[in-house]
Amino acid sequence: MVTQSDHPVRLVLSDDLERSRFTVFFRAIFVIPLFIWLALWTILAWLISIVNWLCTLVMGRSPGLFHRFLASYVKFTTQVYAYLHLAADPYPTFDAQDGYPVDLQIGPPARQGRLSVALRLVFLLPAALVTGPLIGDPSSGYLLGRGNSGINFGLLWLAALLGWFAIMATSRMPRGLRDAAVYALLYGAQFWAYALLLTDRYPDVDPLAALGDLARPRQGPIQVSGEDDLRRSRLTVLFRLPLAFPHLLWLGLWSLLVLPAALLNWLATLAGGRSPYWLHRFLAAYVRYQLHVWSFLYLVANPFPGFSGSAGSYPASEVLLAERSVQNRWKTAFRAILALPAFALSGAYGSLAAVVALLGWFVSLALGRVPRGFRNAGALALGYQAQMLGYGLLLTDVYPYSGPMRPPGEDAVPAPAPESPQAGLGLA
Amino acid sequence: MTGLRDVPAWARRRPLLSVPAAIGLVVLALAWLVAARALWHSSVPGDLHLPRVDPRSLFSARFLSRSSSYEEFLDVDGLLGEVAVVLALVLYAWRGHRLMRESAAGRIGTGMMLGMLAFGVVWIAELPFQMAAVWWQRSHGTSQQGYLAAALGGFLGLGAEFLFVCLALLVAMGLATLLGRWWWLLAAPAFAGLALLSTFLSVYLIPQTHPLHNPQTAADVRQLAQIEGIPGTRAEVQEVHRETTAPNAESVGFGPTRRLILWDTLLDGRFSRAEVRAVIGHELGHLAHRHPLKRVGWLALFLLPAAGLVALFTASRGGLARPEAVPLAVLVYVLLGLLTGPLMNIVDRRQEAEADWSSLRATRDPAAERSLFVNLAKTSLGDPDPSSWSYVLFDDHPTIVQRISMVDAWQARNPG
Repeated sequence: MVTQSDHPVRLVLSDDLERSRFTVFFRAIFVIPLFIWLALWTILAWLISIVNWLCTLVMGRSPGLFHRFLASYVKFTTQVYAYLHLAADPYPTFDAQDGYPVDLQIGPPARQGRLSVALRLVFLLPAALVTGPLIGDPSSGYLLGRGNSGINFGLLWLAALLGWFAIMATSRMPRGLRDAAVYALLYGAQFWAYALLLTDRYPDVDPLAALGDLARPRQGPIQVSGEDDLRRSRLTVLFRLPLAFPHLLWLGLWSLLVLPAALLNWLATLAGGRSPYWLHRFLAAYVRYQLHVWSFLYLVANPFPGFSGSAGSYPASEVLLAERSVQNRWKTAFRAILALPAFALSGAYGSLAAVVALLGWFVSLALGRVPRGFRNAGALALGYQAQMLGYGLLLTDVYPYSGPMRPPGEDAVPAPAPESPQAGLGLA
Repeated sequence: MTGLRDVPAWARRRPLLSVPAAIGLVVLALAWLVAARALWHSSVPGDLHLPRVDPRSLFSARFLSRSSSYEEFLDVDGLLGEVAVVLALVLYAWRGHRLMRESAAGRIGTGMMLGMLAFGVVWIAELPFQMAAVWWQRSHGTSQQGYLAAALGGFLGLGAEFLFVCLALLVAMGLATLLGRWWWLLAAPAFAGLALLSTFLSVYLIPQTHPLHNPQTAADVRQLAQIEGIPGTRAEVQEVHRETTAPNAESVGFGPTRRLILWDTLLDGRFSRAEVRAVIGHELGHLAHRHPLKRVGWLALFLLPAAGLVALFTASRGGLARPEAVPLAVLVYVLLGLLTGPLMNIVDRRQEAEADWSSLRATRDPAAERSLFVNLAKTSLGDPDPSSWSYVLFDDHPTIVQRISMVDAWQARNPG
């Protein structure tokens, strides 16, 4: 299935989430031949990319031969990385054939602005900042010849690490982790396609555009929604950080109360099977408030938020919480341990939110609008953190969904294969 | 029987104040005067005659010319900055309420946002003039601060300022909601209470301080504190040499948080021990005469009518309980601050003179005091005898010439 994106580098996804425990267990070893081959390919890609840059600068378009070679290189690298990071199961072919479960569709050569070509390295810098939290070190594996496994704690690496344990237990890659990995892989592919002059379209960090209809519809006891026209007030953008100081102070004071409340809630939920009403209400308000504050600070939303965290008070970025429900006592008892993987992933998402906020600050100040991609990436990151916090504070026992979720009500393409909810460790 | 129709229009109009309210205000005004008189008291003899000092006898003509042009630029720059701030705030008071649409924070939260943005606007208006001042100070070697550091420092400093604005607006708007147009009667003491708390805790807010290690200076502090009647006063050193070369010291807090803060630029060897003793004596003089507390008292006396005037002016926008009144309230407050600035300068200069007098009595070393003032002027390129307008508008210390004149007066009273 191809994502319905207008970007020349599109995702083709046919993965069924099934994984072989054996190949996953030894994945880091099995990938070695691929990396040796990739390193050789990288050397050649280095040379060709320099010639391609000169040709594109002169002709205004990448020559077909170079375009095909570099497109194959990006496809192959994406396939190898998808294999290594458990986003796909089959062993990739060495010639980057079509039909791999996580594949790319790269458009033909098109005219490119010569100024954009000449300054491509400069223009790459902001996008390179985003690759950090998504795929770790942007240089790993691609072009610079660091053909290692990319141990640099980006979203991609963490999704693979957590996915490894889930697969060992269930033989399936949790969809949320797979989608998070695929999102990071597609951004990396678009980044290198832009760097190697396969296109002059800037990489799109929008997770909804990356996965499109393939993303899971929004569901679950903790959902994050937002009504946003992307307009941003330049004055409040300029002073966004100091304007957030009173909120950050208030959030800090609130957090002091949340710690004992969370402990009390844990004991009460363990004993009674569900969170007491007043504690649930207090902690839910805290989860809402922290989302309001970070959405404002990270430019995911425009209006200055209130200080109460009350439901419906901040339509620009709102947490929709389900009613209290009975929770599994085992999951309650070991919540602190179970939440650790989500906590780790939340760190990667936090870095992503901070980077897009920093870049979005400059753009919003100049244009009075935040790019949709930045907004949606920030919303994904903060939404995950809200889910994680709600899970950690025992507002629900449903594990945070780590992939992008599209708003409900839109036509959905059925997922490639059915999946069992909350399978195994409950990683999603 | 006379109907209402027969009463003249002027008599039918609702009086501005009821009789009890008018009496209350008169009592308040009398209390204000009594308090001001008590705070005005100084230990400097009232009949002290200050002999005339010719600055040319103390400084070279070249220095006088250089320091005069140096201070003149900074004064004009400062004045232009204030004009820019007023213009920006007038504009903001006129159009700022439109920014209410950028808030989802409710009435008081929106007021806080508008208040913070008002001070953000002030920062923008002041920025070019601050940069000009940095350039001028750098070109004269009195500052080592970079432009970016100065701009960023000011920007990040807005965080603390915004916190204070939010707290103030929370109190004022909350009281305006509860008390209507009389909110200022409770708000002024509340703000004074906050200022008192801030004064008490101020020592903890001063960055980059460490205890005074120099045993000689520490012994001087102990001895002078004993003489000035505040034994046990602790001294700390603040590291500022990366930002400035100017020497300074300050006295902060009261009770258990009473501290003497010496800048490390004062202790870098440019000043003799006797001169440093004079500075210590001066700062201990502030503490001995409870000037930090008196400043809070004066602030309270300023806040009472200021808050009343803010209430009066914002009534046209529905009172301070409404967020759209906040931009106007900030304008009125800042204007009052600027207008009363020269009066507050008089108070400050009087306290500084009292601290100088106290130092002279403690150190009994007029030569050191005189030498200190000359040295201070030279190291900070301060104009010993600035123009009158600059003195009235900006100077919160007596001029160097006045301070040396006081030394002469003390010496005349204490020969030998």
